[in-house]
Amino acid sequence: MNAERVRDLYELLDQVTGYIYPNEIEIRWSILIVVYPYLTGLVAGAFILASLVKVFKVKEVEPTYRLSLLTALAFLLVAPLPLLFHLGRPERSFEIFLTPNPRSAMAMFGFVYAWYLMAVLLLEIWFEFRRDLVLLARASRGLLKWVYRVLSLFSTDISEAALVFDRRAIRAITIIGIPSAFLLHGYVGFIFGSVKANPWWSSVLMPIVFLMSAIVSGIALVIFLYMVLTAIRDHPIDMRCLDTMVSYLFYAIIVDFSLEALDFIQRLYESEESVKILGTLITSKLFLSLLVLQILLGMLVPLGILVIARVWTFNDDMRKLLYFASVILIQVGIFSTRWNVVIGGQLFSKSLRGLMAYKMEVVSIEGLLAALVLLVLPFIILAVMIRVLPTEPLEDRVTVPSKAPAPESPEILPLPTSGS
Amino acid sequence: MKIPEQVRRLGLVIGIIVVGVLGTRFFLIPRSLISDELHQASTVQREVAKPVKFAGSSTCEGCHEEVSGRVRKGYHKNLMCEGCHGAAARHAEDPGQGKPFAPRDRKFCPVCHSYDASRPTGFPQINPTAHNPVKPCITCHNPHDPVPPKTIEACSACHPQIQRTTAVSSHALLKCTTCHVVPAQHKKTPRSALPSKPEGREFCGTCHAKGATERDAPKVDLSTHGGRFLCWQCHYPHLPEGRG
Repeated sequence: MNAERVRDLYELLDQVTGYIYPNEIEIRWSILIVVYPYLTGLVAGAFILASLVKVFKVKEVEPTYRLSLLTALAFLLVAPLPLLFHLGRPERSFEIFLTPNPRSAMAMFGFVYAWYLMAVLLLEIWFEFRRDLVLLARASRGLLKWVYRVLSLFSTDISEAALVFDRRAIRAITIIGIPSAFLLHGYVGFIFGSVKANPWWSSVLMPIVFLMSAIVSGIALVIFLYMVLTAIRDHPIDMRCLDTMVSYLFYAIIVDFSLEALDFIQRLYESEESVKILGTLITSKLFLSLLVLQILLGMLVPLGILVIARVWTFNDDMRKLLYFASVILIQVGIFSTRWNVVIGGQLFSKSLRGLMAYKMEVVSIEGLLAALVLLVLPFIILAVMIRVLPTEPLEDRVTVPSKAPAPESPEILPLPTSGS
Repeated sequence: MKIPEQVRRLGLVIGIIVVGVLGTRFFLIPRSLISDELHQASTVQREVAKPVKFAGSSTCEGCHEEVSGRVRKGYHKNLMCEGCHGAAARHAEDPGQGKPFAPRDRKFCPVCHSYDASRPTGFPQINPTAHNPVKPCITCHNPHDPVPPKTIEACSACHPQIQRTTAVSSHALLKCTTCHVVPAQHKKTPRSALPSKPEGREFCGTCHAKGATERDAPKVDLSTHGGRFLCWQCHYPHLPEGRG
């Protein structure tokens, strides 16, 4: 440990209350480990929303189907980065794939991640976009044409029979995908829930609570992105779609809130030896992030807003405003949930007699700046994806902007409807 | 049944990935990385191939019988000679070559003996900045038989605080009578027969003036240092400040 780090830790001694063991002063899982479950949660939630369309035939949310898939992919690509940043030797991480250890839960995450990325998300996205990629490859010129051809793996068949096969494949993949998405985020909860030495984490409810909060945050994120995208593109918002998504969000919050309340009540009733220090933790170190941000602003206020939006009849603009405010509050709340689990679980001593403090670094690789970059990066990836891949199915006739000078109206190219 | 065109293409990509992964796993990675037994065996081979640098304490005992005999009876009996003196295989082979290093400064001993709350209770620990600063540890402690040094205790029955303070100072090994003349009557009627105290700067100068014979004492030029002030107006003689 370098001298500067030791000096920083000495400063923390003043903020320690009660008795702690000497090696507990350093909080080892930093803000990056907060970002990681937050990102995987968004992935799982966005995918579950997408599966509503294909498996449960909820036609109302069809307009956000592709956006949900791309959102899930963009966030999934960034999800392992916080873990890699956190590792002392990130270049060794690939070894878990080559010399797998089935008894290590953390190593198995590599396989859950690879399965979900390669066998579920990429496949589903490929089948969903294949027809459009073929159409775009035909209509584009130059480098872009090659990008589309490579992305479509040079396939050209868009006959009705081929498209029927695509749709069947998507449905089959989504059915496999739902338990896979549950596995992906349930695993994150499992990692924390199975740390039996830590009373704040050790709970069988942990994977389920993580999963429900993941669904809440994922749906809220897609609603947010859908509203922002339509505003940027100056398109009208499909209010039926928005209302349906919000109602799913509403039910998901209620289930999530009930589970968290159940967990809390059970801990309180069990009153194990840790209950006293956990009570002190909640009322002192986690007062702002748990009681104010997570429960009040991130859960009760948006729940109240959504109840008001459902009980009273508002016009579309007012509803949009209420929905938008609640999805942003929900994101703050879910991020606080991750914070309270990861950081909160490291703030009390194993002696159950003292509390530590977490001092976040700013510019280091495990600091605030790195976390912000990792939170912004998926949006940049998503922006690029949306540029390349259409979020709405293409008509059979594709508009292609012709080269300069800029024409009054884009050139319309007729496209064949079947493969050659 | 005819396999759809897109499935053939996808199958080709998946096939390439699967073959790539399996090929890496079963052909490119050395077997010693996968099999536990081979991994351990190759580690042993790698370690065995390294040059031997340590001779081992039993080798040292062959020549340094007297010192190692003392060490084996003292508090450092569980320490290896080369733990402090460094690797000595070359010296063992040819005593004229590679004379082992002997730590003589104050940085070495605090590696084990500086205060750390996680050390076991009763383990001798000091604060290196306050504990007898300036002087090397070996002035008072013999590392081959590290019993706590006999500090001067003659006056400690009545002046324990001064005794404890001085015991960890750079004046630890000075007798009280070096600076104070104590009449015999002082032990019977302490208030009526007081010991003397140094009166002038020259007294401290006997050790600390330039040209004084005391080798370890810091030296000052009495004609310029401190002006008209007496030494003890700035320096407390029972705990002279350290510059370590």
